[in-house]
Amino acid sequence: MSDKGEVDLTGAKQNTGVWLVKVPKYLSQQWTKATGRGEVGKLRICKNQGKAEVSFTLNEELTTVDTIGEKSSMVRAPREHPFTLQTVGGQTLAVFTENSSGQSDAEAGGSGTGPDKIALEGLVVQRAECRPAVSENYMKLKKLQIEELSKPMRFSQQLDKAVTTNYKPVANHAYNLDYERKKKEEGKRARADKQQVLDMLFSAFEKHQYYNIKDLVDITKQPVIYLKEILRDIGIYNVKGTHKNTWELKPEYRHYQNEEKSD
Amino acid sequence: MSALQEQRKCSVVRMQCACSYSCMFSQVINGTSCSAVMTSLGSSSSSATEYVVRVPKNTSKKYNIMAFNAGDKVSCSTWTQARMERDMSNRRIYGEEETPDGAAGSEFGKKQREEARRKKYGIVTKEFKVEDQPWILKVNGKAGRRFKGLKKGGVTENASYYIFTQCADGAFEAFPVHSWYNFTPQAKHRTLTAEEAEEEWGRRNKVVNHFSIMLQRRLRQQEQGEEEEEEGEKGGKKKKKKGGRGGDLRIHDLEDDLEMSSDESDGSNGDDDEAKSKAKQDKGPKGKGKKKKKKKGSDLEGFEDSDDGDFEGLEVDYMSDESSSEEEEPEKPKPSKGEDVPKGIDEMSESEEESEEENKNEEDGKEEEEEEDGKKTPVQVEKKKKKDSSGESDSSEDSDIEGEAASALFMKKRTPPKRGGVRGSAGSSRTGSRPGTPSIDSAATSNTLRAAANKLEQGKRQTTVPSSETPATKRLKMEPSPQSSSGKSTPQPVSGKSTPSSSDVLLTEDAVRRYLIRKPMTTKDLLKKFQTKRTGLSSEQTVNVLAQILKRLNPERKNINDKMHFYLTE
Repeated sequence: MSDKGEVDLTGAKQNTGVWLVKVPKYLSQQWTKATGRGEVGKLRICKNQGKAEVSFTLNEELTTVDTIGEKSSMVRAPREHPFTLQTVGGQTLAVFTENSSGQSDAEAGGSGTGPDKIALEGLVVQRAECRPAVSENYMKLKKLQIEELSKPMRFSQQLDKAVTTNYKPVANHAYNLDYERKKKEEGKRARADKQQVLDMLFSAFEKHQYYNIKDLVDITKQPVIYLKEILRDIGIYNVKGTHKNTWELKPEYRHYQNEEKSD
Repeated sequence: MSALQEQRKCSVVRMQCACSYSCMFSQVINGTSCSAVMTSLGSSSSSATEYVVRVPKNTSKKYNIMAFNAGDKVSCSTWTQARMERDMSNRRIYGEEETPDGAAGSEFGKKQREEARRKKYGIVTKEFKVEDQPWILKVNGKAGRRFKGLKKGGVTENASYYIFTQCADGAFEAFPVHSWYNFTPQAKHRTLTAEEAEEEWGRRNKVVNHFSIMLQRRLRQQEQGEEEEEEGEKGGKKKKKKGGRGGDLRIHDLEDDLEMSSDESDGSNGDDDEAKSKAKQDKGPKGKGKKKKKKKGSDLEGFEDSDDGDFEGLEVDYMSDESSSEEEEPEKPKPSKGEDVPKGIDEMSESEEESEEENKNEEDGKEEEEEEDGKKTPVQVEKKKKKDSSGESDSSEDSDIEGEAASALFMKKRTPPKRGGVRGSAGSSRTGSRPGTPSIDSAATSNTLRAAANKLEQGKRQTTVPSSETPATKRLKMEPSPQSSSGKSTPQPVSGKSTPSSSDVLLTEDAVRRYLIRKPMTTKDLLKKFQTKRTGLSSEQTVNVLAQILKRLNPERKNINDKMHFYLTE
């Protein structure tokens, strides 16, 4: 396995030339539907009186366009696509690949390489644009597309009847009933033994330094007054410059490196 | 593959396409080999070959484009080895400061609370996406080039890019391009920081040898690091080496040269680099210090060009709290100088009224300062002052105007130095716009006016600016008095030199005593009585004389309406 970050320069060394082709969206969508080995069409390169002509012909089975709605079979993607060739211009365009086979199975990557293997595949020698041959078909397709796009994301719809099912008056909400039931069964918090409470507090303060009184009540399940008394013994109440006022242990009780001191 | 061979032959003629095709078909063929194969061109040969295009479905490889600029002259074939990784330096911006998690310093439920708080305020923090981070590409190891690749947005939004590569079997495979990165080379040489660059920009007209800039900077850095060493080594030999290569091509002022040259001759030959570098260190900071001083000196000179400098100090009483950033130095000594003048009255009265006036004038001054950068013409400034004054109560209106006039006068004087280089044009435009002010309203002016106007003309010829101000201030003074409205030229003599001919009022002790016996008056009221245009004195002189008179009279003081009034009982 090569070093992470090391770029595989075989493509550059071999001066592999590739083409960079700009393809319309609908065509790339059709290509994703390709079956089998992924054959999508044929590329025809002609040399006509000094000019090279490149044209791509889409396979028959891929011309059906899935549009939402009724017109599915009516519109078909055009088949002929001449390529417009352009020079690379001043830029040097290189193609590099990133092989990210996923972090989870780093060792057992499907392609046998580690995550994020970067390789230089080659240099772009020709740029081209794939244009559809203008035909009736194409125009219809475009019309469909435009219609779809021009629909607003939100639209208003008139209702026949007013909506009356939202909020009905209720004697007492279900949520409230549950809450009261829960409170009842919990009962009032009983004062446990002071030592036990202290133990609970110390273990809590081991985890975090600052606690809100409400949180401590939750943790220890003690009545507030009792808890506050205990806290006044072992802790300090500081404003800390923030809104919430928090409790923390007194310095002599604190020992935040390893074990905690107590009493 | 006859078609292929034919293509090879034909391709040579069409140069622009030729190389691309040859590259595509086989990795080995390049342009030269094509030309070797060339045979007679078959005209009008339209041969077509068809290739199957495949779009592989299940690749884990993501194809990206690495774009270099043409000017960088990047040739991938020269790379022997390369390393590329993501630039994670932005991570800390996104990940907020983590408070210690657990144990000391942490709060229970802090994270949840923070999150709830952020949701409540609608703060949406962008996530740190590794995918979008720039790449750092290092070519040819430590000594090679470095590139930074920034992701280009919007590439895959409307159209998709595909990479067509030809496979061994002649078929094409198309891979979609996942993202596009623009790579730019990173400078390995040292660069100046923003402040240093600005400094050098300011000196660009003086410095001939630009190569020395970086050298100086390096020396400066060295010097900072080795300060103790340097001090210990200030020997004679080192000092003599001042004529180091560092700044000797700079255009120094003559003094600099003279100072340096005498030492230069001694130690300029046959030194080791060490000594020289140390000498350069020595010289470097010294040279810089001198340059800085020179610069400041020249700046100072520039500002003190005109006579206006004389009046700059006067304003202090009203505007001592502010000083413009540009002119801190010239103004600092002046305020202290100018403080004497208004002090007379200050000591005398100790009145709130004074402070009130001061405050008001300070405000005016502040506004003046703020707007001044916008090149307000004097007209506008005064109009503003008029507006200010109109808000005051009637009783003190006149005296306020008087005060304003005084402050306006002072401030007018101050504005020209601020304008600095602009002054020339502004001044000229101002004067140009008022070429006829003395001539207009000539009919309506009295003798004194005309006399003063003539004086004004003379004053204008000497320095454009002060004269241009004074018509402005005079305009203000004209307004209270019932004169015609447009194109005022008031007769106020510039520096109080003109004669108080036919003045109705003389500022004498008797006059003051008369007033004070009649009723208690504030200093403002007194000043109003002795209006400068009627006494023929400048406001400064009025203030002076009045102060002296009051000192002599030593009137009694009474506080009426929170204002200090003077009165005499005889």
